[in-house]
Amino acid sequence: MRFRTDLCNIKIKLQSSYAVKNTRSYAAIAYLFLAPALILMGVFTFWPVGFNTYLAFQDYSIADGTATWNNFAHFKYIFHEELFWNALKNSLLYLLIVPVIQLGALVLAKLVNNKLPGMTFFRATFYIPVITSISIAGVVWIYVYKYDGMLTWLLTSLGLLHEQIDWLGEPKIALYMMMIFTFWKGIGYYMVLYLAGLQAIPSEVEEAAVLDGANAWQRFWKITVPMVKPTILLCTLLSTIAAIKVMQEPIVLTKGGKGDTYTALFYVYDQAFRNFNFGRAAAAGLVITFFCVLLAIIQFRFFGEKK
Amino acid sequence: MKLNKMLTVGAVVFGFAALHAQADTELEFWTMNLAPKFNDYFNKAVTDFNKANPGLTAKWVDMNWDQIEPKLIASIAAGSPPALVNFNVPWVHAHAQAGDILPIDQYLGAAKGSYSVGALKDVTVNGKVYAFPWYNSVSIIAYNKDLLAKAGVKAAPASFDQFVADGKQITAKTGVPAYAPKLGNFVGWFYYAGLPVIEGNKAVFNSPKHVAFVQKFADLYKAGVMPKDVFKVEFEQEIAAYNSGKIAMMTTAPQALKRTETDAKAVYAKTGVAAFPTDAGKMAFGAWLMDFVVPKGTKDPAAAAKLGLFLTGDAQQVAFSKATETTFPSTKKGNLDPYFQSGAKSADPVEQGRAVAAKSMDKAVTLTIPPGVLPDEAAMTKKLQDEIQDAIEGRKPVKAALDEAVAAWNEKLAK
Repeated sequence: MRFRTDLCNIKIKLQSSYAVKNTRSYAAIAYLFLAPALILMGVFTFWPVGFNTYLAFQDYSIADGTATWNNFAHFKYIFHEELFWNALKNSLLYLLIVPVIQLGALVLAKLVNNKLPGMTFFRATFYIPVITSISIAGVVWIYVYKYDGMLTWLLTSLGLLHEQIDWLGEPKIALYMMMIFTFWKGIGYYMVLYLAGLQAIPSEVEEAAVLDGANAWQRFWKITVPMVKPTILLCTLLSTIAAIKVMQEPIVLTKGGKGDTYTALFYVYDQAFRNFNFGRAAAAGLVITFFCVLLAIIQFRFFGEKK
Repeated sequence: MKLNKMLTVGAVVFGFAALHAQADTELEFWTMNLAPKFNDYFNKAVTDFNKANPGLTAKWVDMNWDQIEPKLIASIAAGSPPALVNFNVPWVHAHAQAGDILPIDQYLGAAKGSYSVGALKDVTVNGKVYAFPWYNSVSIIAYNKDLLAKAGVKAAPASFDQFVADGKQITAKTGVPAYAPKLGNFVGWFYYAGLPVIEGNKAVFNSPKHVAFVQKFADLYKAGVMPKDVFKVEFEQEIAAYNSGKIAMMTTAPQALKRTETDAKAVYAKTGVAAFPTDAGKMAFGAWLMDFVVPKGTKDPAAAAKLGLFLTGDAQQVAFSKATETTFPSTKKGNLDPYFQSGAKSADPVEQGRAVAAKSMDKAVTLTIPPGVLPDEAAMTKKLQDEIQDAIEGRKPVKAALDEAVAAWNEKLAK
């Protein structure tokens, strides 16, 4: 009897040591697989972010590479800088495009998810703006928005407008005009992501709802939206970050923020590459990052899976 | 056998090392926006330089103008800057203050006297010369003869006030905006008009004279003499507007005429050329000197300077001007070359433009704020431009706009 217990104990010990060894090598292999991506991210993401954070608290001279602690001088400067707050306001205002583009993309995805002949053509068409280079799209849209350009012409010929408007020159509307451009340029991207989400919904669910007498409106809000919630979270997060980081649009459309289209990241760029004040640029970048993270947390609360 | 093998390998390694040591010093020089149009000129210049300087190999790299600064900064930080970089005047001052480029006085020697005084002044910072002056240009007026005739304007304006009056007349009679001058650097306009911008570390551009000057532009805008989107007009847009008959005059560098010649033959055929009038500042408008600087940390500054002197010498500057047909040397002797004045009586607008602009070259000074004066140039320039735009486009009274900009500047200057 005793012999059997001993044998059992030995067996258990052996098994557990084997399991420990196994877990260790398992983890090692996992890290090995992660290594290429981690190294690349370390060099090109974590290190720059870390160095940038360090610079935000320093007076940095690019010529001799020296950095000296400056007692939060950059943050104090930015805090009193009207231009930065105005730029940040524009970037936050840009968030208005997020719900519009998300809803638009979801509805569009729902439409092109229909199994009708020629649907691939529509999917491709909506995706074309995404793969068009922003500088080329910008040149075209400048002509759309020119005071004697396409938009003015269209609205005048429809009798809706009676005078020429410089759409990108009027401070009150220029930012919204830029948002329309972003909408046009980005909707196809999110459409594809939603399309993938929609195709993961089992058709039985929708069929059952049809049998229960739910109409299209009810099916959209009660079935589609809840079931693509993870995709909504992803897309909203992506487009929120993109909106706060908006910079290419003012570069191509308003040549650097004329007509009150100066954005937060443009301020960072100006401080870094026009003033060569990399410390101040880093500090401004950090403030923007703070807002990005804040919004991300809110969105995770709102759309994230409840545990 | 083993020893033999080792010896052979050793010899090969040594041979390579020796070859490497003997290899030419490579002198990379960067220019902005000159390829592929001027490949022939640069290929020849490089060959000539390499032939005359054994042991040195010049290598030409052209890039878009807005890549120059970020790439240079990155290359300085990486410890591998090129030998020479093509800069404009504001960059020379900004980077000289920052210590990114080297003073070149010790390499200039007798050549210093060959550059025009204005050009040397442009690239002198705190008493030291920081760049080899290269090519330059000034604005001229190219006008549509038909539209001016229709408006009853007989000759190109001889003064700035005449320029304003003619503009109003042209638009009133033809319905076409008269001109779309570049307003992106309004400080330059103040200097052109002989008005100070900063005095004793204080912004002073809200005096009655300044207000009156900006008011002229606001009146022009209101009367439709300048197109609605004039603040978005840059070099390309002005040419496009002139070529399509949407403005009656181009107030730009003579090289724009080359584009009219190739892109809009009908408009080119009825184009006349005149000098851009000077105002109280007695400065030619639109001068924009190009030059070469030697970045800090370049491997062989003396060799780099040799290349700089070669590229900006009389012979090369005249040859380059002949290649561009529309730019001008910054050397005294270069501008006396008969090539520039031979077109004075020509019927061809490009040749006329060359003669007209060459005559203005002695008044060519790059009209910018002495760099280093503004503690936050990006933000301050933006503030001034935003206020000026609001004033000219009629969203704000001129006086109020200038007062606000001055207050914002003084707050920053006082810090």
